[in-house]
Amino acid sequence: MTKFIAFALGTVASLVVSASVVNAETFKIGLSNGWVGSEWRTQMIDEAKEAAAKWKDKGVDVEVSVQSANVDVPGQIAHIRNFIAEGVNAIIVNPNSPTAFDPIFAQAKEAGILVIATDAEVSSPDAIYVGIDQTAWGAAGAKWLAETLDGKGKVVAINGVAGHPANEMRVAGYKSVFKDFPDIQIVNEVNANWDQAQGQQSMQNILATYPDINGVVVQDGMAAGAWKSITDAGKKDQIAATGEIRKDFIDLWIKEKLNSGATVNPPGVMASALNVAVLMLQGKELKEPAKAGQYGNALYLPIPFIDSKNVEEAAKQLEGKPGYYSYTSSLTIEDAEALFK
Amino acid sequence: MAEIATSPTYRRAGGLRRLLERYPFLPALAIVLVLLALNGIFSPNSLSYRSLTGLLSTYMALILLAIAQTYVVYAGDIDLSAGSILSLVNVAIIVLMERWGGGAGAVLLALAIGLLLGLACGLVNGLVVAALRLQAIVATFATSIFFTGLALYILPVAGTPAPTIFWRTYGGRLLGLPFVFYILVGLVVLLAVLSRTRLATQLLAVGDDQQAAYQTGLPVVAIRIRGYLLCGLFSALAAFCITGDTASGDPLVGGKMTLFSVAAVVLGGSALSGGWGTVVGSLLGALTIGLISSVVFFMGTPSEWQNFVQGLAILVVLMAGVLAGRRARP
Repeated sequence: MTKFIAFALGTVASLVVSASVVNAETFKIGLSNGWVGSEWRTQMIDEAKEAAAKWKDKGVDVEVSVQSANVDVPGQIAHIRNFIAEGVNAIIVNPNSPTAFDPIFAQAKEAGILVIATDAEVSSPDAIYVGIDQTAWGAAGAKWLAETLDGKGKVVAINGVAGHPANEMRVAGYKSVFKDFPDIQIVNEVNANWDQAQGQQSMQNILATYPDINGVVVQDGMAAGAWKSITDAGKKDQIAATGEIRKDFIDLWIKEKLNSGATVNPPGVMASALNVAVLMLQGKELKEPAKAGQYGNALYLPIPFIDSKNVEEAAKQLEGKPGYYSYTSSLTIEDAEALFK
Repeated sequence: MAEIATSPTYRRAGGLRRLLERYPFLPALAIVLVLLALNGIFSPNSLSYRSLTGLLSTYMALILLAIAQTYVVYAGDIDLSAGSILSLVNVAIIVLMERWGGGAGAVLLALAIGLLLGLACGLVNGLVVAALRLQAIVATFATSIFFTGLALYILPVAGTPAPTIFWRTYGGRLLGLPFVFYILVGLVVLLAVLSRTRLATQLLAVGDDQQAAYQTGLPVVAIRIRGYLLCGLFSALAAFCITGDTASGDPLVGGKMTLFSVAAVVLGGSALSGGWGTVVGSLLGALTIGLISSVVFFMGTPSEWQNFVQGLAILVVLMAGVLAGRRARP
């Protein structure tokens, strides 16, 4: 035991020494991603790494250290522990659970580490959230659909994973919009677990059960599947449905002249969070402290929207990229600086 | 297992073999020590007192879930609902603690109900698998969906903080030592007691040869149900630990842990076909999983290769375990 304590003291001492030696403008940032089921996550990490490299021009050395693997909640808590042991300055995490990280984030903060969550909000008062408001994301698609349908018609919803916080917020978002359109009737809501194939399957069932629907609210990659069923059934001119942001779909959208509108959940959110993190590590203060959202710790980023008016522009951004590449946007260093005093 | 003691050939075996017979988890222990050393080489900080405490408190839930899994695997069964039982107990105790005000009494009462709930889930599994004779792998997959549904009914979205007294105790210290150390000591004592009971031997006998066990007069159905009861009980204990480490309720928290628990059992040297295994091995297997993922990171593996290397490392460890285990097994 004493050996352990001596060892721990030794490492703490060496940490203190090394911390005082490094230049003030060198930051080490840990990125933790707990799910690698989609290209979106890969792009998210790649964009964050690019954002870190861009700080070189400003004379700031941002070293990123990435942990990305399919893990359960304890596995991701272990990610955070590893970062604490490594002695990073900040941790940016795309969390597997909204609430489970409260104790470990508290420990990170005690160790003087800045913690930022992105893509999914966390309840911890020791972290801030930099990302989009999923409720507003759900509302934006519904608003487009309601307006496209002139405020009346039969609508179905294809949702993600029941019980997943982002899904619940998006559902709350579209419900709050449709409430204001009494002539829009939600005839059914199904869960297709954010899976493209399940989205396609659900849409087939829906079309068989309700041949007279006018609109579909469907999230992310499931939209490509749903649109496949709609096109196969020869109904693409009668149905308006929300879309998604991958190049393959956007190309199809233009080619088939789909009546679609896509709320963008940009993979650049982690890059935005990284830029905010670096500025905070430099000791700058936010003009408006991050106090939004249900947990009172969120800094919401703008949510781009693609509809038939600007879909060509979106396609231009994606030109030459692989088919799975998502339309993206993120705060540049200058954009982020504008948020600070 | 029983044969080993009576078979004279093994008595004449060499020292190493005899050691492996007596302590079949030794290969798993060696692997854990090697992984600890590797962690230490790549990141000396990861062996600090604080990091090791953290490792233990984070992986205690998986350790308990792996032990839960071991008891059904003993009898040649499997429980794919263990993670869902963990989720269900997690949300149930969180909601109860909140409803009853979060005092010490409320916490203890909620934990008692959590244990009963775990036992009830185990009983359901046991009845479905052993009494109704459905295939364990599919039946428990079905009950896992059922238990997840219940958990989602109790708490539709992750949230609801645990009472401070609960997680501060779990993550805190008692008489200068981290609380998880006491849990570990308590667990080792409990396992030692359980391994001396008739039930452990009976489970292994059923797993070794169900027909033979039946013909020698063992109540096979009742024994398998008791295995599932133990599994439910330890899954509930695992839920307590995850609640302590995450301080909140999450109806989906255990989903991904089920297969890790099965992997930990196998890494610990137990045979999925039943009749052979140790709970201490599963404990070490769970630690192995934790240590592998941190060593993959500390080695500086690029993020896009981390899953690949982690999978490869688990395979290598599995092979090492099998090679060592083969020497000891008849």
